[in-house]
Amino acid sequence: MPVVVPPPDPAGLPAPAWLLQILLVFTFILHVLAMNLLLGGSVVLALSTWRAKHSEFCAKLSQRLSRALPVAMSLTITLGIAPLLFVQVLYGQAFYTASVLMAWFWLSVILLVLLAYYGLYLVQFRPEWLGAKAGVVAWISALFILAVGLLFTHNATLSISPAKWAEMYAASASGLHLNWSEPTLIPRYLHFVVAAFAVTGLGLMLLATGYRKTDAEWSAEATRYGLRWFVGATVLQFAVGLWFLVKLPQGVMMNFLGMNMVDTVVLWAGVVLAVLALLVAQRSAIGATVLVALTITLMAVTRHRVRQMFLGEHLNVNTLPVNPQWAMFVIFAVLLVIGLAVVGWMVWQFFKASQPQQSTTA
Amino acid sequence: MEYPFWDIPLVGGGMLIGIIAILHVFVSHFAIGAGLFLVLTERKARREGDTALLDYLKRHSTFFILVVLVFGAVSGVGIWWAIGLVHPTATSALIHIFVWAWAIEWVFFVIELLAAFIYYYGWNRLDARTHETIGWIYFAGAWLSLFMINGILTFMLSTGKWPETRSIVDAFFNPTMLPSLVVRTAVTIALAGLYALITASAEADESLREKVVKYASKWVLVGMTIIPIGGIWYISRIPDQAREISMGGAPVVTLFAAASIIFSAFVFLATLLGPFLFPRRFHVTFAFVIVALGLITTGVTEWVREAVRKPYIIYNYMYSNAIRAEDTQKVWEQGVLGSAKWALLTEEDKRNPLAMGEKVFRFSCQSCHTVNGFNGIKFAVKGWEKDFLDMQIQKLDQLKGYMPPFLGNEEERKALVEWLYSLNNPPQQTAARP
Ligand code: HEC
Repeated sequence: MPVVVPPPDPAGLPAPAWLLQILLVFTFILHVLAMNLLLGGSVVLALSTWRAKHSEFCAKLSQRLSRALPVAMSLTITLGIAPLLFVQVLYGQAFYTASVLMAWFWLSVILLVLLAYYGLYLVQFRPEWLGAKAGVVAWISALFILAVGLLFTHNATLSISPAKWAEMYAASASGLHLNWSEPTLIPRYLHFVVAAFAVTGLGLMLLATGYRKTDAEWSAEATRYGLRWFVGATVLQFAVGLWFLVKLPQGVMMNFLGMNMVDTVVLWAGVVLAVLALLVAQRSAIGATVLVALTITLMAVTRHRVRQMFLGEHLNVNTLPVNPQWAMFVIFAVLLVIGLAVVGWMVWQFFKASQPQQSTTA
Repeated sequence: MEYPFWDIPLVGGGMLIGIIAILHVFVSHFAIGAGLFLVLTERKARREGDTALLDYLKRHSTFFILVVLVFGAVSGVGIWWAIGLVHPTATSALIHIFVWAWAIEWVFFVIELLAAFIYYYGWNRLDARTHETIGWIYFAGAWLSLFMINGILTFMLSTGKWPETRSIVDAFFNPTMLPSLVVRTAVTIALAGLYALITASAEADESLREKVVKYASKWVLVGMTIIPIGGIWYISRIPDQAREISMGGAPVVTLFAAASIIFSAFVFLATLLGPFLFPRRFHVTFAFVIVALGLITTGVTEWVREAVRKPYIIYNYMYSNAIRAEDTQKVWEQGVLGSAKWALLTEEDKRNPLAMGEKVFRFSCQSCHTVNGFNGIKFAVKGWEKDFLDMQIQKLDQLKGYMPPFLGNEEERKALVEWLYSLNNPPQQTAARP
């Protein structure tokens, strides 16, 4: 079978490839941070709701988490739109092709997200009405979110495997393919899931600090609980990450083992920062969060490099035609700054007014 | 034709997009109008010192969050998902032409969502002035994202000067951009009232119910009055051929266009004669009837808007089957299968006209036709002999249906004829099997 890659869009890139790649990777990092809290948080919510009857700690955890998770879901979706836009600009040729091959599964992401989202709201708004079933609903939401993650891994890996496309499409045009044959599929997926648990652990520790004054006992226990998630997941991640690395094709793997110095330094610096985060986590959740955010940044760069290496000359974004729209870009950049300021102001107003006021009707 | 074609049996891709799009339109326009409704009504309640009204608004905003933030946001992404799967080439074009417009829309969307959460969770937390300001920010963000998306959507039907100038300004500020913005804004106002009728009619307190029902019905009437005015302006700006299709050129489309007007009138009359004149007797069942009428109106109108764009997916630029108008000559020379790399034509196919014909169908016709389902080709050609088929395909763009010209070469045309003929006249050996 020949390797068939759709031609680039004749409209060209609306900005130089380097700028779009920065935007892609940067917005992807934001999306992944929110996604981690959602994915890990929904599993922790399911666990704690399940055990709420037997443990006061779990009951409070379930209630407090349930208020945060719909916001995490909303942020995950909203922050996902930007990288989805930029990936279509840069890698549309690969992204649309892979998506069509797995079309029904890809479309099911929408339904799974919708149901998981309503499930989370149900647990937040109607826990009494659900009673013992709250745990079941929370688990369904969590499993759907985990499934969505797996479908994204299918899409991401299929998108960077152009050699498989023609054979798949020749076998069937019904959009029912998945990428199970991909050796990196499972380790890659687990790499993301385990990271999500680690980040959620940190998130729990930060959540606990919000209750330090009002509910000191719970806050202390939640801090320990979050720390256990963070440490456990991060230690496990060393094994999963290694597994992922050795499953990469030889040529790609070797780049991260010294063949390409920059790639090697970026990857292993990320690992070192994660080790440092482990060491400081007990003393400072914020310190660990900063270090982990840096790790995620470096890992997102590494992920982008893996994509470039897999695609090679089949789709090299640096050779795409460029037809810049600078005026539009400047308008976007200005509005982005204004938008962030408005968002910052609103969030500040919200947290400034930390005491719920009596209904103000005058 | 540059991308693999997703084969959806019976239903077809257009219908799939349509279902998601109609639901999304019905919710997302409400999302915008409801922002205005909430903040204006909040001010009214505070000015009048009406605590009951304020409490109603809090309950209404829970409904708003559950409908807008969840279904609105997810179905919006869903449309994008679906068009990328069904029309990848056109989606890629829209993304590449409008990247920064999409990016700007995203900024407004982020503002909109955060403002919605803070407005909702801030009812008992923020002081009145800040809360109302957040409400205004929500409405501004929501309306501005409509402003952006409207420019991109209208471009698909009226590309204006863009095909010659290729300038983003011409693309965005295209001939139908403003009239469509007026219509859509009016729709947001009408829908805000419509949804408020549901929540209001479920209120227990009788005097409150009467007050809000009457008030909300005015929103519907105002919106429904502006829609036809904007609509006439809109129709006057669409391409001539598109107008022809809606006004007699294609009977089905004309029927739907008429249905759109009739159902709009129903919504108006039902609101006038129901909640506006007799708010006291208004019942939640009746509210759902009006909402159902509104949903039907939205459905048929969006369907007409899609239908009149034929044979294009992006007017004067790209046909529904993903062939760019400017590439017509090239495709003509190379043939359909020579141009569509994803046909993956094999030597075996070349010896088998039926296999070849099916591939020709997939890459030139299947974007609008299914085989034996919606707009099924099997029924369209029933009883047609091979000679007649061959003749009709050669003047496809003159048949009913507003189709693009057939660009295959002679060998491909013959293969397509064979395959089309075989649909209703199975070859002997297959017919013999049970
Ligand atoms: C832009 C969308 C579109 C494309 C592409 C398209 N068609 Fe059609 N076609 C239609 C519509 C709409 C009708 C009218 C259906 C009706 O009136 O019920 C139609 C009707 C037909 C009819 C019946 C015409 C008649 O006079 O009764 C035939 C035959 C037909 N199409 C064949 C084809 C073939 C063959 C192709 C591919 C080479 C094709 N179409 C591509 C939209 C399309």
